[in-house]
Amino acid sequence: MAPPAQSHRSPSPSQPSGKGEVSDLKMQLRQLAGSRAPGTDDSKRDLFKKVISYMTIGIDVSSVFSEMVMCSATSDIILKKMCYLYVGNYAKYNPDLALLTINFLQRDCKDEDPMIRGLALRSLGSLRVPNLVEYLVGPLGSGLKDGNSYVRMVAAVGVLKLYHISVSTCIDADFPALLKHLMLNDPDAQVVANCLSALLEIWGLEASSSEEAARERETLISKPIIYYLLNRIKEFSEWAQCTVLELVSKYAPPDSNEIFDIMNLLEDRLQHANGAVVLATIKLFLQLTLSMTDVHQQVYERIKAPLLTLVSSGSPEQSYAVLSHLHLLVMRAPMWFASDYKHLYCQYNEPFYVKKMKLEMLTAVANESNTYEIVTELCEYAANVDIPIARESIRAVGKIALEQYDVNAIVDRLLQFLEMEKDYVTAETLVLVKDLLRKYPQWSHDCIAVIGNISSNNVQEPKAKAALIWMLGEYAQDMQDAPYALEGLIDDWDDETSPEVRLHLLTAVMKCFFRRPPETQKALGSALAAGLSDMHQDVHDRALFYYRLLQHNVSVANSVVNPTKQAVSVFADTQSSEIKDRIFDEFNSLSVLYQKPCYMFTDKEHQGPFAFSEELGNMSIGVDDQRVEANDEDHLLSTTRNEDSLPQQTQGSLLVSFDQTEPAHAQQTNSVIDDIFGLGLSSSPAPAPAPLLKLNAKAVLDPTTFQQKWRQLPVSTSQEVSISPQGVAAMTSAQALVRHMQLDSIHCIASGGQAPNFKLFFFAQKENEPSNFLVECIINLSTSKAQIKIKVDDETASQAFSALFQSALSTFGMT
Amino acid sequence: MLQCIFLLSDSGEVILEKQLTGHRVDRSICTWFWEQSISQPDSNFKVLPVIASPTHYLFQIVREGITFLACTQVEMPPLLGIEFLGRVADVLSDYLGGLNEDVIKDNFVIVYELLDEMIDNGFPLTTEPNILRDMIAPPNIVSKMLSVVTGNTSNVSETLPGATSSCVPWRTTQLKHTNNDVYVNLVEEMDTIINSDGALVKCEIFGVVEVNSHLSGIPDLTLSFANPSILNDVQFHPCVRFRPWESEQSLSFVPPDGLFKLMSYRVKKLRNYPIYVKPQMSSESGTCRLSVMVGIRNDPGKQVDSIVVQFRLPHCVSSANLTANHGTVNILADKTCSWSIGRIPKDKAPQMSGTLVLEEGVEQLHVKPTFQVGFKIMGVALSGLKINKLDLKNLPTPAHKGFRAQTEAGQYEVRS
Repeated sequence: MAPPAQSHRSPSPSQPSGKGEVSDLKMQLRQLAGSRAPGTDDSKRDLFKKVISYMTIGIDVSSVFSEMVMCSATSDIILKKMCYLYVGNYAKYNPDLALLTINFLQRDCKDEDPMIRGLALRSLGSLRVPNLVEYLVGPLGSGLKDGNSYVRMVAAVGVLKLYHISVSTCIDADFPALLKHLMLNDPDAQVVANCLSALLEIWGLEASSSEEAARERETLISKPIIYYLLNRIKEFSEWAQCTVLELVSKYAPPDSNEIFDIMNLLEDRLQHANGAVVLATIKLFLQLTLSMTDVHQQVYERIKAPLLTLVSSGSPEQSYAVLSHLHLLVMRAPMWFASDYKHLYCQYNEPFYVKKMKLEMLTAVANESNTYEIVTELCEYAANVDIPIARESIRAVGKIALEQYDVNAIVDRLLQFLEMEKDYVTAETLVLVKDLLRKYPQWSHDCIAVIGNISSNNVQEPKAKAALIWMLGEYAQDMQDAPYALEGLIDDWDDETSPEVRLHLLTAVMKCFFRRPPETQKALGSALAAGLSDMHQDVHDRALFYYRLLQHNVSVANSVVNPTKQAVSVFADTQSSEIKDRIFDEFNSLSVLYQKPCYMFTDKEHQGPFAFSEELGNMSIGVDDQRVEANDEDHLLSTTRNEDSLPQQTQGSLLVSFDQTEPAHAQQTNSVIDDIFGLGLSSSPAPAPAPLLKLNAKAVLDPTTFQQKWRQLPVSTSQEVSISPQGVAAMTSAQALVRHMQLDSIHCIASGGQAPNFKLFFFAQKENEPSNFLVECIINLSTSKAQIKIKVDDETASQAFSALFQSALSTFGMT
Repeated sequence: MLQCIFLLSDSGEVILEKQLTGHRVDRSICTWFWEQSISQPDSNFKVLPVIASPTHYLFQIVREGITFLACTQVEMPPLLGIEFLGRVADVLSDYLGGLNEDVIKDNFVIVYELLDEMIDNGFPLTTEPNILRDMIAPPNIVSKMLSVVTGNTSNVSETLPGATSSCVPWRTTQLKHTNNDVYVNLVEEMDTIINSDGALVKCEIFGVVEVNSHLSGIPDLTLSFANPSILNDVQFHPCVRFRPWESEQSLSFVPPDGLFKLMSYRVKKLRNYPIYVKPQMSSESGTCRLSVMVGIRNDPGKQVDSIVVQFRLPHCVSSANLTANHGTVNILADKTCSWSIGRIPKDKAPQMSGTLVLEEGVEQLHVKPTFQVGFKIMGVALSGLKINKLDLKNLPTPAHKGFRAQTEAGQYEVRS
């Protein structure tokens, strides 16, 4: 342990900083080492305590290592414990000295007292010195067979420690097999749990290199083992229960009876006092019922009460973690929580992050029946002492107004905010009123009357100012003094620091000019002059653009700045549904708290067992919008593309009509476009062109294997693609598509649904290789879209297969 | 899987560190963390319980000024980390009779021993206080006395706890008490929001059934309620058997020894609340007249004690002059005004009144304070939950039974 700088701390008797004390200790310890006088143990204990306390406050006491070891020949257990602690701390950095301790630790491993055997074994494992592992194997082996469960429990974890020091030693000694045997047969639940945790980690890490380990890992989630663990669930400690529940959530029960059996068995876990157990159970229930819509809804109903109890019980830290999960669920299924909106009301003492989360949830659950109450509540926060919350709650009111059809009352309330004459309230409200007017132009009359009374001098925040200016320009004909207000703002041009405001000012004065030319002419002139000499490039350019536009043709200019506008129907959502789904898949993990899927924040190398590496490049590309772009650029790009990759499609793409689907090709060009425009959609380099993929026409895969694989493998590609009109017409039943895909050696394993919704599972195998591709395809004929999720054994072939699958799908109905 | 646990003092100094895996976590992470937490000026912007540092994900909880910080680099259930730290804090506070820097430094050997048994290689193991108590004796006066008398100074018991091999993991097998007694205590907290129109928005009770059991052998207890149907949701200690609850809503269990939470519950949509607060404000040309009346609304039938009304003065208030006809008014440095009333006198209604002087340029007070009320009522559970009876079986000698109840204000707030 490197001692941190101690200089800032004033020296006190218990906190020495110099070397003197340490060498003093060394002397004293040496004197005691050989002594057999009565009372030696007591003085030793005092000295040991001192050493440990130095160590604890960060002083390097490694120099007394040999003395400590010499003194360790004792029968006093507390001395032993302190010595173990000391040795465990310094052995890693003093491997030579650590050898000295092996002797007494090995001897203690054979002590009569199981407690000492266990402690010694634990310390032996904690030395973590690679060249001492040979001394660890023997004691571990006998520890696993020890008559006392405490020792076996320590030994099971010890195997994992050994694995991390030296993989080969651990595997060669065949410890995993021993652990498995112990896991399935030991009467003590804690031993079973420790074996399970160790095996999960060892086989999880080994699976990438050894096929046997991969197989073993799979057997852990096989029915016999899962049932064995479930049947003993009540014996396990609460922490072990979490591990078991997490494991069970990876198991795919083959039929619904089994699902119900498992849920019945575990239902009382929802009543457990430990929040971690409750959340692990909830995760399991949600995962199990994903495919059963009705039951899934019932699960939501069932878990509501336990979640709300966890939020109101326990420490603030616990409620925060639970609230984050509740937030995820509420955002996913607002209507199930619509009647429980009162639980989401903010309490005065709650920290900001909790209130903010609650406000988001309140916004989400607002519907026709509860909007009035929710908005009333939110309006109370607007007058709150807590300014950030007041702001957030005004935004929330605005969001609700944008969602609801009956906005009449809400608009009134928003306008009342303006009368409060608090600058931050006014600022937030202005921004909202602007958004509202963009969506509901019919309200302009009421709003404008109030907005007209606001003096622009009282508005300082750039966003609010810009909003006010936008409204002045847009509704110039309804606001008596709009030109004069704008004129006043233009006079202060030089004092205006925000380029955003200046840009808005230019546009607004242009709009105003076309509506009320005589009054605005002067203001427009000075605005253009100020804009042309502006230091900010964008402002300058826009001024120049307007200037030339006016020079060129005034009526064209009018149609440019005052086009007939369509009311905005939906504002862009910040987080894609893809990401939300992924976070949901990672329920009960840190992902939920960070509101990001784990691939966005964990290092690959540090991912735990059962966490799989992901191809970042394939994530959530909005195929729809970009296809249009891609088509536009076709003739420019075809020369830069590798001709050999997918030649037939390159040709086809030149003839592509607007609504015809070429998803595979579109994706190819996407990456090229991204390169050209530097759109960093992916942090990994664009995947290299894959070699031509040949599929095995006679591939076989039994349903159970499919399900297991589906559960374990990460999603390699997930996309939404369009289905051609011919395809929609041909899709009379799932079977039609199944037959079509078979022509391309893509086999169906399960299908279901009725028009307009179908869900199909496909699989395919590489020719000559046992490498599988699994596909989930959800088709919605009413929107002509297909949701495709692909999982693969071999990540390198993922791109090629995705292209192949999509091209096969796109030709459906063409023949 | 946790990699390291640190205990930090209230000045950010590392009191104790416990490395759990081969991946040693450097202490510098604590410095990083501390800078994060002191960079948050307002108490309202506390550091999130789970944050990401450049190298690790950190879990932290704060108990009595001590920060418990745990680090991990892998994805794991967040509640596992938080619950575990909470349990560590509970156990330590239980062992050391409270938490502070000095007591931890004086007993760090015990703290290390406890951590050693509670978590190995990042996996939580035994966290049941009763079992730990058997493995590591607490540093109490009794054990000090014993050590003087017997000359045995070790605070580690010589044998392994019986429960590690018993089928009731929370209880040791051979317990003997000379006086057998068991106490059941209903402890309730009331969360209430009354909005600015004086309407009741939310009124909920969160309650805990605490049991303090000192019984010999392996007793089997059944506790039943007169009106279990009022409970909205319940959580149980692992000792509670689920089936009897499901069929007849009675709690059947073999208790751990000592004090523990048998069950926690929630009762929502209550109508009656004990205390009303009526604030009135009127502002005129830079000053605001404030008067607050407090009284009993729905008489709980027992004395309401330790009544306190608190609120934060809005930022735009430059000075305040408030007096009360009963109790004392204090205005703290952070602009919190606290009015301690104690009990409501029989002869008059407590009232606080005075003026708030607003900052220059502010004519009207538009920001409304929220009044938070604290109180305590002994002898009554406001949720109305009633214990029917407690049956004791499998006891060598008859035992004494006792029942108590109390209600406190949780988040009890009145908006103006």
